[in-house]
Amino acid sequence: MKVSGVDLLIVGAGPAGLAAAIAAKQSGLSRVRVIEREREAGGVPRHSFHTGYGMRDLHRVMNGPRYAARYISHTLDSGAEISTSTTAIDWVGERTIALTSPRGLEEVTADRIILATGARERGRNARVVAGTRPAGIYTTGSLQQSVYLRHQEIGSRAVIIGAEHVSFSAVMTLAHANVETVAMLTSEAHHQSYFPLHWGTALRYRYSLRTKTELLEILGRDRVSGVRVLTPRGEEVIECDTVVFSADWIPDHELARRGGLQMSDVTKSPIVNHLHETSRAGVYAIGNLLLPIKSADQCALEGSSLLSKNW
Amino acid sequence: MAKRVAPHVRTFDVAIIGAGVVGAAIARELAHFELSILLIDAKSDVGAGTSKANTAILHTGFDMVPGSLESRLVSRGYALLRDYAREVGISFESCGALLVAWNDEELANLSKIQEKAIANGYHETYLVGVDALYAKEPHLGSGALGALAVPGEWIIDPWSTTLAYATQAKSAGAILQLNTRVERISQSAHLHTLHTNQGEFEARYLVNAAGLYSDVIDAEFGFEDFVVTPRRGELMVFDKLARSLVSHILLPVPSSMGKGVLVSPTVFGNVMLGPTAENLSDKRATESSIAGLAFLQEKGRKIMPALLDEEITAIYAGLRAATEHPDFQISLHAPQRYVTVGGIRSTGLTASMAIAEHVRDLLTTSGLDLGQQGDLPAIHIPALGESGVRPYLNDELIAATPSYGEIVCHCERVTRGEIDAAMISPIPPRDQAALGRRTRATLGRCQGFYCHAEVRALLENAGGAL
Repeated sequence: MKVSGVDLLIVGAGPAGLAAAIAAKQSGLSRVRVIEREREAGGVPRHSFHTGYGMRDLHRVMNGPRYAARYISHTLDSGAEISTSTTAIDWVGERTIALTSPRGLEEVTADRIILATGARERGRNARVVAGTRPAGIYTTGSLQQSVYLRHQEIGSRAVIIGAEHVSFSAVMTLAHANVETVAMLTSEAHHQSYFPLHWGTALRYRYSLRTKTELLEILGRDRVSGVRVLTPRGEEVIECDTVVFSADWIPDHELARRGGLQMSDVTKSPIVNHLHETSRAGVYAIGNLLLPIKSADQCALEGSSLLSKNW
Repeated sequence: MAKRVAPHVRTFDVAIIGAGVVGAAIARELAHFELSILLIDAKSDVGAGTSKANTAILHTGFDMVPGSLESRLVSRGYALLRDYAREVGISFESCGALLVAWNDEELANLSKIQEKAIANGYHETYLVGVDALYAKEPHLGSGALGALAVPGEWIIDPWSTTLAYATQAKSAGAILQLNTRVERISQSAHLHTLHTNQGEFEARYLVNAAGLYSDVIDAEFGFEDFVVTPRRGELMVFDKLARSLVSHILLPVPSSMGKGVLVSPTVFGNVMLGPTAENLSDKRATESSIAGLAFLQEKGRKIMPALLDEEITAIYAGLRAATEHPDFQISLHAPQRYVTVGGIRSTGLTASMAIAEHVRDLLTTSGLDLGQQGDLPAIHIPALGESGVRPYLNDELIAATPSYGEIVCHCERVTRGEIDAAMISPIPPRDQAALGRRTRATLGRCQGFYCHAEVRALLENAGGAL
């Protein structure tokens, strides 16, 4: 097993982690390493092909993959190292983490560690949805990877569960895959996104936003055939072959919890102080590991400002 | 070793309908002998019916009806499967069980259960006082009064068990015929003819291990010994981060309040809550219900409140092949050269190898000449349990094959090497669920948020379905 040491180890090469790496190099740290469990760095923007990225941090607008590519090249230019296909398995010391990758096992010790492991949407089981278990059920994240990265067949009629920003991203992804969004459901009284975003997508893609509507059950044997919902007017079946569970975020906090860091019961994120330091000295948390969910550029700004505050 | 048959041969010494844990165990047992064997199943994978939604407990049989066939076969099967698991690498953990009493009636029942265990030949149980109970299980909900410890109740990987039996039977020469639904059975003087959606197959002897459909197969012979009533059991599986909450299988104590639910660790490092029990008429009703899931959450919150704060990674519903009889329904119909193996409940996993021996003996008494017994080809099943060293932690393996260091399913830490190996295994997976049973891929907390698309692409490249 290999043993190594760095000044700063960043876990997660999404916008927050990469921005933090660039800032760390600029502030003069010499050995900065970002590890990423996926085969490619960039995080969620990699598979989010619609525009709107880069507004606050790069002061220009571009799509997700371009945005991710830009951060990757800036990071490499800065002299930080990115190790992809590399998973942080567990803590083996206060600031020592065990890694696995196709190059084998490694233990890396760092003066400081930044956790930037992001968040994911809860899927169907985590939301305790009853019914059958047919094919055709996605989260926005898995849908985007299927559509944009793998060009896989999706279906023809979709229902989206949730009405937050990311839900509208699901509408656009479905449209790209020639899938009609027939309805967007939220148990709340209103959608939880910007009004122009809703109006724009609703006008363009012609789905109905169903507020105060609860998903009861998924129908269909091999393939989704519909969803049974509870509306203010009673129960109803909406026919569809695809269901996308959007939003309802949970931080990817496994490493933080395995390290015994203090966690918030509410957000399930590590608890941090105003300097983003966790309950363990020298271990920081940034980006969407800290809920509520933020846009990519907000995460990147959090990553780049961390260094100026702290070190 | 089983007789090798040429690919075009459609006549066998023995045909077994149903490649669940019982049918596969019977095929493996018979494969020791000079027989040509057909193992047939309507689904696209072995163990894809009732066997796949088992509670995954290696039962001692302490609470069986003393003197029943089930009691005898579970006891014998326990020892056989424990040794077999060690031999071929099926994961198991010797965690032991605690029957937790929550009221005076249940507490009083513990000593009766202890006596029953002794009547079943199991002598290792002991009573646990309330303080000792909370010391053993500090996250147990408040209000428990005591427990009966059953140290021999273990947990095991149920999917790999069926897969190991079928793989070994196939390696020994048995023919595995999947996607093949038996539609009708006709008889001639010495042969059964199975009319299927894949054409006709003939066999001198026939074993009915068709699980939920065993009464339907029986009806082809005019037998009406039992009726299978599918009894749905819904189960919830909690994330690996919940595993540290519980050390033992926490069993309910049977009482006048009805049968409760269990909380059990799994060999994969999760925690399971369930099952419900609900008699249905539809043999395909494997959907989960709103009421069932609410019931489980309510029960779970009482048994272990902290468990309900963890993420749920999977929800299953399985159908037990329950009959109107309390015991296993295994019977030889000698004139027809036909053995029915019906009414096998969740204990069937533990009893499977003993059931197979029993069926072998029944076939022999009806005139089947087994011929010489030989050794089966040695096999090794990839261990999926957390108690062993998983491939992503095996530096030597990764050095030899770097894909064992490339994690595809991050939640379950399944590597590309394991997926590649499953794809070229003797019984390759044809869909995502089958791949999950072999590798754990996509069965974790993100439910495919990260790896669904990649796993789907790997399956499609290998010629499988979504």
